[in-house]
Amino acid sequence: MNPFGTPPPEEQPGPPGGPGPVTNGQPWPPAPGHGPPGPPPGQAPAPDSGPPAGRVPPAPGPQPPHPGAWGPVPWGPPDGEEPRQRLHPLSPALHGAKSLVVVIAGLSWSTLNRVGFGWFAVLVAVFVLGATVLSVVSWWNTGYHVVGRELRVHEGLLWRRTRAIPLERLQAVEVVRPLLAQLTGLAELRLEVVGGGKTEAPLAYLGVAEAAALRQRLLAVAGRAPGPAPVAAAGVPAQPAPTGRRLHAVRNQDLLVSQLLTPQAFLLPFGVAFVVAQFLSEGSWSFVAVASTLTAMFGVVLQPIRRVLDDWSFRLDADGDTLRVHNGLLETRVQTVPLHRVQTVGVTWPLLWRVKGWLRLRLEVAGYSAGEPDDRNRPDRLLPVGDAGTGGRVVTEVLPGVRLDALPGTPPPARARWLRPLSRRVVGAGLDERVFVARSGLLTRRLTLVPYARIQSVRVTQGPAQRRLRLATVHADTAGGAGAAAVDRDLHDAWELAAELTARARAARRADPHR
Amino acid sequence: MNGDDPAGRPTAPPGPLEPWPETVRWQPISRDLIWVELIRLGIGLAVALVVLGAAWALSGHWLLGAAVGVALLLAAWRTITIVRAVRAWGYAERDDDLLVRHGLLVRRLSIVPYSRMQFVDVSAGPLERAFDLATVQLHTAAAASDARVPGLRPAEASRLRDRLTALGEDRAEGL
Repeated sequence: MNPFGTPPPEEQPGPPGGPGPVTNGQPWPPAPGHGPPGPPPGQAPAPDSGPPAGRVPPAPGPQPPHPGAWGPVPWGPPDGEEPRQRLHPLSPALHGAKSLVVVIAGLSWSTLNRVGFGWFAVLVAVFVLGATVLSVVSWWNTGYHVVGRELRVHEGLLWRRTRAIPLERLQAVEVVRPLLAQLTGLAELRLEVVGGGKTEAPLAYLGVAEAAALRQRLLAVAGRAPGPAPVAAAGVPAQPAPTGRRLHAVRNQDLLVSQLLTPQAFLLPFGVAFVVAQFLSEGSWSFVAVASTLTAMFGVVLQPIRRVLDDWSFRLDADGDTLRVHNGLLETRVQTVPLHRVQTVGVTWPLLWRVKGWLRLRLEVAGYSAGEPDDRNRPDRLLPVGDAGTGGRVVTEVLPGVRLDALPGTPPPARARWLRPLSRRVVGAGLDERVFVARSGLLTRRLTLVPYARIQSVRVTQGPAQRRLRLATVHADTAGGAGAAAVDRDLHDAWELAAELTARARAARRADPHR
Repeated sequence: MNGDDPAGRPTAPPGPLEPWPETVRWQPISRDLIWVELIRLGIGLAVALVVLGAAWALSGHWLLGAAVGVALLLAAWRTITIVRAVRAWGYAERDDDLLVRHGLLVRRLSIVPYSRMQFVDVSAGPLERAFDLATVQLHTAAAASDARVPGLRPAEASRLRDRLTALGEDRAEGL
């Protein structure tokens, strides 16, 4: 039995009449010459060029399947339903341009040496042209629309795929604008849902205003409690509310200093001095040696440089009960997270930042952590750098009622020193009113805050050495990130802690309006 | 060897992973799982012995003979731990959550609220089926959650699955 109301998005054979699906007697997709539903090509779309307000979905809840509208595919838009929207017509060009880099890297220098520059250019042109044609075909067959409380994305020519995303499950929305997209006034919309190994349903690319309007609309649908929903709220907001309330803006100067205060940046001068000294003493400057040394150094400082580029002009806004994070220099990202989707908040005090009294804040949202081992693509920043006061304000804003400077916490019992002779004093755990607090780390101090309402399960583990010392570790698992752990508690305390966490999580779930 | 006593006979004195003895009634899993695990161990041991024995017979090096001895010793040790581990495995259903405890060297206790359930797996491999056993695993949105109950009779597994899904739907919550 299919547990979901909608038919599974199976791979369907192409429609018998070729790729010309028909909606309401009108060809879908409409020919570009006749005015696509999206904004006109080549210019910034008007703010209300998103889904037309007059054609809002008539009723909440999943629409009944409406067979027959699109060949054998059973979910064609029925009468009165919102028509499918195309992505921006410039998207294929952008995808083609992106493939240029890949093609050149794939062909590599050796090919250039072998075939000469002219043939190389021809090869590159052929490959890029092929990629662009494929992008055009894919663009032509990609459409999205909001049906009831779902976003449906249709794609593929031979292997059709329809993905229906229930908006109640939406965790976060991100608008990403790579450099090329910034130049052309486009943006990519990424949706985070739980269970996807990676970011699902990226809509690349939309016009900026269109992306903002769609984001606003998706969040409006997602934020409503399930049940009878006012139809008017599903309409497009007249203006994508731009800013909200500014919580904090990181000074770029601070960001630069903070990245200079990293081990990589500190070690770089020593590395350079060592290499120069070696070259001077040997008196030989071979090209390969210099190049490889430079490459190695670049690799070392890549992380701080990336952080600077990614966190440049970092701004944090609160807009109603959503949090909005802007960052990026070459590639700007705007991430919107509903506050009740925050699974954990992590506070880090790196060793070298202590001279400045700085800290860093991260937030975990379900859906990101699993498939994105690359730290860079995990938009988990809440504050790249800030002093204690700023950190406290932001934490209070994200987790109301939590004061960073007045968190409870008790270290493990004294006999735990046999297991952690140095760090016994710095690890600890405590129960605040709304969050579970866990501290760890000797050099880089870490603090993890887990709201009780977000705890998925509680575990107690006890290794052989812990058993000898009558200690145990209590874990609070969350849907995103690693959760928090109270290490090496007294066994009796551990039981009590586990029971208390379970009880508080249950109470918080009951009281949580966003269940 | 009949471990299906539904009353949950008093297994052991309250150990470190049996908290709240007054409210939690632990259910043991079927002792037949011992046989399943022993047969698995036996197959592995037989393969290892054949390979090592053949190599020993061909080369005659004393180290290979020692390896055979080590393999036998390990198997004997593992036999003891299997018996104890299966006896240590237990689960308990409370009003709001499922408790699972297992492990000997590293002892683990999981408390998983029914309302956090995303889906339930019931699985049974060929050996388990031969002994009329099944495994129930409860999945939550957290990857670290660990609620797996092996060695259940199929009827008990179905009952547990139905109860978990029913309670999960009753207390349906998102994340």
